Amino acid sequence: MFRHLAAVWTARHFLLALVKLDLRLRYRRSVLGVGWSLLHPVAMTAVFTVVFSQLFGDGNPVGYAAYALSGLAVWAFLRDSATIGSKAFAQNESYIRQSPMPYTIYTLRSVLGHLIHACLALCVVAVLVAVWKGDPLALLGVPLALPGLILAVLAAWAVATIGAFVNAFFHDTSHLLEVVAQIGFFLTPIMYRRNLLDDRGLSWLVDINPAHLFMSVIRDPLLAGAPTADSLGALGAALVPVAALTAALLALAAGVVAWLHKKVIFHL
Amino acid sequence: MAKIELNDLSVTFSAHQQKRVSLKEYLVRGLFRRSANPVLKVHALSGINLSARDGDRIGVIGHNGAGKTTLLKALAGVYPPTHGTREVEGKICSLFDITLGFEQEASGWENILYRAYLQGETPTSIRAKIDGIAAFSELGDFLNIAVRNYSAGMLMRLAFSIATAVEPEVLLVDEVLAVGDLAFQRKAQARMRELMGASRLMVIVAHDLQTIRDMCTHVVWMAHGRILKQGDPNEVVDEYIEAVTGTKPEPRLVAA
Repeated sequence: MFRHLAAVWTARHFLLALVKLDLRLRYRRSVLGVGWSLLHPVAMTAVFTVVFSQLFGDGNPVGYAAYALSGLAVWAFLRDSATIGSKAFAQNESYIRQSPMPYTIYTLRSVLGHLIHACLALCVVAVLVAVWKGDPLALLGVPLALPGLILAVLAAWAVATIGAFVNAFFHDTSHLLEVVAQIGFFLTPIMYRRNLLDDRGLSWLVDINPAHLFMSVIRDPLLAGAPTADSLGALGAALVPVAALTAALLALAAGVVAWLHKKVIFHL
Repeated sequence: MAKIELNDLSVTFSAHQQKRVSLKEYLVRGLFRRSANPVLKVHALSGINLSARDGDRIGVIGHNGAGKTTLLKALAGVYPPTHGTREVEGKICSLFDITLGFEQEASGWENILYRAYLQGETPTSIRAKIDGIAAFSELGDFLNIAVRNYSAGMLMRLAFSIATAVEPEVLLVDEVLAVGDLAFQRKAQARMRELMGASRLMVIVAHDLQTIRDMCTHVVWMAHGRILKQGDPNEVVDEYIEAVTGTKPEPRLVAA
C-alpha cells in the first residue's frame, strides 16, 4: 500500500497538470469562464433563499443563503466525486492501457477537480458570513473548516476509488450512485435545518447519514462566526466520528485496491 | 543495470461474450440460472520464459494476434501477470499506442507536458527538453492549437517526438518505425537508431524481418501466446519464413 501511495506521489506532476487542464477546459470559451462553476450553486442558493428562507431559515436571508450555499457546495463535491469519480477508469482508459501508473490517480484527478469548484463556492460563503455577522473575526471559521474539508477529500477519494473499481465490473454502479445521490439530496439537511427533522422525531435519519457528518464539520465552523471555547470543543467532538469514518473508508478502498488493482485492466 | 526476467509468465483475459455484465445479469443469471453470457478465458500469453541483460536487443516476430503486443505490455507493467513472475529493472520507455491518450482539447505544448510527465519526467527535467521535442516534431506554430485539429500524421510526429525524448534503460518498441511523411520517416529512423544505441536493453516487435535480422541479438518467435522458438536471429527468422511460406529462404551469402 505504501508503494502504491509512493507511486501516486511520483505521478503528482502528471496528476496536477491534468487537474489544471480539466479546470481550464470545463468552461473554455465561455464568457463567465470558471465563474460558471459558481453560478450554479449561487443561482440555486438565490432560489432557495427567495423560496425557503422564511420557511426553513430564521428570517435572515443572508444567513440562510450562507447556510444553503455551504451545504450545496459540500454536497455537490461529495456527489460529483462519487458519481463522476466512479467513471474515472473508463474516462482515462487510454492512459491506463499504456502506462502502469497507479489507477487511483485517475479517481484523485476527478476528486481534486471537484474540490476546486467546492472551494470557490466556500470562499463566497466566507464572505457572506463576514457580511452577515458584520465581524471580520468570523473569517476565523475558514481555517477551522479545513480539517473537515481534508477528511472529506480523503473520504471522497476512497469512495470514488471503490466506486470506480466496482464500476469496472458492474457498469450499473454509477447509475445507482446517481439515484442514491438524488435521494440523498433530500435526506440531508442542505436547504432545511436539521432541527426540522429533530422536531419530528426523525433525527436518526440525519445521524446515520454519512454525508451529513462531513457537511457539519465543514459547514458549522464556517457559519459559527468568531470561534469560542465551546464551539471549538463541539467541533473537536464532531471531528472524531468523521475521522473514524474516513479511516474506515480509506481502509476499505485500500483493500479494494489490493484485491482488484491487478485484475481490473482485463475488465475495462 | 537493466534486466528483464520473465518466469513462466501468463496473462489471461476473462472476456465475456457480451462485453459487460450488468448487476441484474450477475444476480439473476449468476445465482439462479446458468449464465447466458459465459466467461471466455483468452490465454493471451502462457508460459513465457524470457531473460535479457544489458546490451541485449530482442526481436519479437509472429503472426497477428500471436501475443506480441501483449508481451510488450506485460513487460511495461500495463498487464499484470495472472500467473508467473515479471521482473524488469531500469527505466522503461515504451513506444506503443503512441497516438492514444492525447488530451484532445489541450494544445500541442500542453500535451508534450502531460505525456512527458506520464513517462516520468519532472517539471525541471522537461524544461531542458521541451524545446528539443518541439523542434524535432517540426510542428512549429501548430503546437499552439488544440490537438484535436491535428492530422493523423501530425499526431504521430508529436507522439514520436515526445516518446523518444527520454533516456531509456529498457526500450519497448511496437512497430512505430513508419511515422509520418518520407522526410520525417528518415529522421525518425535515425532517432530510433540513436535511441537503440543509447538504451541498454531493447525489445522490438516488427514485421519487417530485415530490421530484425540487422538489429537484434536474439529473436523470439511467438504463436498463440506461446514462445515457439527463441535464439539466434538468422536461424529463428529463417525458420519462421519457412513455416509461413513453406519454402526455405535463399541461403544468405554473408553469415551475420
